[in-house]
Parts: sequence; structure tokens; C-alpha cells
Amino acid sequence: MSWIKEGELSLWERFCANIIKAGPMPKHIAFIMDGNRRYAKKCQVERQEGHSQGFNKLAETLRWCLNLGILEVTVYAFSIENFKRSKSEVDGLLDLARQKFTCLLEEQCFLNVCFAYTSRHEITNAVREMAWGVEQGLLDPSDISESLLDKCLYTNHSPHPDILIRTSGEVRLSDFLLWQTSHSCLVFQPVLWPEYTFWNLCEAILQFQMNHSMLQKARDMYAEELKRHQLERDQAAVTKQLLREGLQASGDTQLRRTRLHKLSARREERVQGFLQALELKRANWLARLGTASA
Amino acid sequence: MTGLYELVWRVLHALLCPHRRLTSWLRVRFGTWSWIWRRCYRAASAAVLAPLGFTLREPAAVGRNRRHHRHPLQGPGPAAAHPRLRWRADGRSLEKLPVLMGLVITADEQEPSFSDIASIVVRCMAVGISYISVYDHQGIFKRNNSRLMDEILKQQQELLGLDCSKYSPGFANSNDKDDQVLNCHSIVKVLSPEDGKADIVRAAQDFWQLVTQQQKRATDLDVDMLDRLLSSNGFPDPDLVLKFGPVDSTLGFLPWQIRLTEIVSLPSHLNISYEDFFSALRQHAACEQRLGK
Repeated sequence: MSWIKEGELSLWERFCANIIKAGPMPKHIAFIMDGNRRYAKKCQVERQEGHSQGFNKLAETLRWCLNLGILEVTVYAFSIENFKRSKSEVDGLLDLARQKFTCLLEEQCFLNVCFAYTSRHEITNAVREMAWGVEQGLLDPSDISESLLDKCLYTNHSPHPDILIRTSGEVRLSDFLLWQTSHSCLVFQPVLWPEYTFWNLCEAILQFQMNHSMLQKARDMYAEELKRHQLERDQAAVTKQLLREGLQASGDTQLRRTRLHKLSARREERVQGFLQALELKRANWLARLGTASA
Repeated sequence: MTGLYELVWRVLHALLCPHRRLTSWLRVRFGTWSWIWRRCYRAASAAVLAPLGFTLREPAAVGRNRRHHRHPLQGPGPAAAHPRLRWRADGRSLEKLPVLMGLVITADEQEPSFSDIASIVVRCMAVGISYISVYDHQGIFKRNNSRLMDEILKQQQELLGLDCSKYSPGFANSNDKDDQVLNCHSIVKVLSPEDGKADIVRAAQDFWQLVTQQQKRATDLDVDMLDRLLSSNGFPDPDLVLKFGPVDSTLGFLPWQIRLTEIVSLPSHLNISYEDFFSALRQHAACEQRLGK
């Protein structure tokens, strides 16, 4: 039986979904599912019950996303900071997670669950991996760049989230996907997570749609700047190369162009080699983890 | 049927987008009318009260900056405190004040207003905020850094009656950190996207230098070490970001440093009233950070 709640949208929900889908739709949404404990307090139930309701709400939300054609969702289930909570609460959360997520493996969409995660650790790890790559001779120090760092993050197989939704009225990121959401639409909604509705999701998507062209423009501008900086660095490197060989730095434009092309092709080769080695390293680590816990 | 949905969607957005612009516009317009109303009220009150021997205390500011003031009616007795002392008292009245405030300007098409930003910066200083960062994703403020600093000095004089140029003769002209000005107890920093992700990459390259010099190994790097390698080392992380403008995004503002930052949105940086500014501070003071617990 599918864990993602069975059931289609109601007629009215389907009608509104079709209207929203006429506009630009996000491909990837990230959720900070905040408010489980406040919900439990409000309904006068145990915290564990609040978390359980939160998981149920996640299942429901995934169904809505599927119906809206949003095939990738990332959620912040558990932060490294959450280990500060009481042992009983932490154990309860981990048990619940184990239960619910095993069922998820049968589904046909991507759900990324950030567990024992903070963004700063993720970024630091990516920088360490790049340093490892240079140490191993797989990379040149000049290969260290924003796009390479991006490819070293745990989320490197996913596009950056289009929307980051945080519930319960808090207006901060709490160390979640800080790098990936720099140009995402941030939606802060006051509703508590276990009370999240289809209409809240629609509201968030409408907000994304209103921001869409401005965000796209800003992202494109940023990407252009990155390309320009990289080109400048490459030009400087080629100039240095030519001068070292005793040639005219600004002489033959054809030669410069060839050298530039060669430089970036070689870099691409190194980066691909490094990323393959990194994948292998991570796969081996996961395998070792699997056998260690078996 | 798809055509119908598309039509309804266009109508919906046609209603929602102008609604956001209208709210912004009303804020600007209302701000102006509110200023006009306050001037008339003051003039009328002065006309009525003068014969009775009361006087209204005129603030030192001139021009459009006047509307950012509150002008309480002064009764007999000692003259009321200068606005800057009252603003300082307002700041102290909050349970907590941000140590570092980020001002993120996301203007859609038009150029940001330097004088409006300067007046917000000066209000931050007046209320007692020690560090203020100003950011826009196109780097406009950074490229026109001296123009912004001049505007801030001017507003300080007008709004606070302080001549800060004589407090920091060397600093303001210093060459190594010329996007940072020490002005009468507050530090103002002007930032752009190169201080965000690009700075993390620069720190990664610096770390690599340490590895090649065999001062460190790749595996030595942890969160604290990377934090210390960033340009923001020595500065606190922003507690609060006031985000001005229509875009619901930080647009690359210091991604590393904003992990616990409260993000409060205001529709525009133009003609922000003191009340709106202060209510954002109050919102920040009221929030509780559980830090994972």
C-alpha cells in the first residue's frame, strides 16, 4: 500500500489546480515542516502525536505535489541541532522516520529528506571534498569555483528548489539549504505544519508565480556574471601562458581562442574525473555504512 | 478547456500583481499625504497654540526627511528630547535589538534611492544597532559606495544633528576597507553578491593554500575553520534582515551568515515611516529562537 496518501483532489481542488498550472510551475519545492509541537500543545496531545500528524501531513502534501506535477520535494526532517532535544523525543522521531520512510521506496517521485543535516556542514563538506580532489591530483587549484562547489553538495543530483516554504510563522532558514535557496522564492506561512492545506500550497505556488520573472532575471544576471568572471580568469591564464612561452599576449586572436578552448576543455575533463571519483568514494562509504549496521 | 484555465489564470494574476504594486504605491502616496497632513496639523496647532504661549519644537531636519519624524505636541515645561535621544530610548525599550542588521534592497526596475536607504541606515544607528549591512544583488551600492556614504553622513547631520565626519577622519578614507565606515558607534558595510557565494569559494581557495603549505590537511576543515576564513570573520552574523522590494528572495545575500537570521519583508525602501521601521524591530524582538531544542 502506498504511503503517499491515496486519493485524488476534489472537483473544486482539481479546477483550481488546473488554473494554477496555466502559469509557470515549480519543479522542486523545499519544506521546513515547522509547528508539530505547537500543534500538539494546541490540541493538547503528546509531542509524539504532533510529529506523527506531521508525517501524515507530509504524505498528503506529497500527493498534492504529484497532482500538481511537482515531482521533487525536499524536506527538513531533522537538524543536527535537534539532537539537543530530550532523548525520548529524539528516539521517537527516529523511530517514526524509520517506519514511514521505508514505505517511500516504492514511490515514483523524488523525496529528499534532510536528516541530521545542517547547510553549513554540507557546504564545509563540499569544500573539503574539493580540497581532497586537489590533494589527489584530480583537480587544479584554479578549478575551485562556485559551480564545482555546487556539484559537491549532497543535493548535486537535484536542481535548486524553486520555492522554500516554512510553516508556523517563523521567518528564518535555520541552516537549511542556505546555498541552494539563494535565489529561490521564500514563502513564510503562519499555518502550523500539521494543519497545512491544499490552499496553503496553492497560495505558495501563486506567490512563486508572481516572483517568477523577477527571480529568473536575477538568476540569469548572476549566471552571466559568473560566466564573465570565469572568462576573465581564463583570459588571464592564457595571457600568462603565452608570455611564459615568449609569445605576444595580445597577438594572434586565433591562437588565444584555441588556447582558451583547450583550457576550458581540460578543466571540464578534470572536473568530470573528480566528480566520478567523488561518487565512487560516497558509494563506498554508504556501502560500508550499510554493512556496519547489518 | 486549457484556454479557459489560462484565461482565468491571467485574470487572477492581473488582479494580484497590481494589488502588490497598488499596496506599494499607496504606501508611497500615503506616506506623502501623511507628511502633508502632519505639516498642516503642525501649522494649525502652532497657529492655535502660539497665542496661548505654547510652542512646537521644530526638529533640525530639512526637506523631505521631516516626514520620518514624529512631532508630538509640546506642552509647557522642559523642551522635549531631541528625536535621536527618543529613538535611542525606543531601541532600549525592546527586549532585544539586532546586533547586526542587514538591509536587502530588491528594487524591481528602478534604481534604488540612496537618500531613502541612507535615512534607514541612520535610523538603525539612532536606535542603537551597532552593525549595519546594505546589500543589493546588482552591486549598485558597492559601485557607488562613496555616494552612499556621503548621503549617510548628510542624513546623520540632518536627522541626528551629529557631525560624524570629524569623529572618524582616518577611517572613512582608509583604503583597505573602503566599503566600511565607522560612524559614531556604528559600522556600516556595503555588500554585493561577491561577498556571498564567491567569498565562500575564495575561502575554499585560501584553505587550499594552507593545505599546499602543509599547514593543514584537507580533512582538517570543519565549520568553524571555514567560518574563520570568510571575510565576515570578526563580524557577527546578521540577526535581522529587512528585505525591501517586491522580490521574495534574499537574492544571494550572505548565504552562509544568514542561517539563523530573521527575514522581515517590507514592500519598498521608499519613504519608509519610522513606525514601519520600528514595528519590524518589534517583530524581531518578539520572536523566540529555540536553536533546535
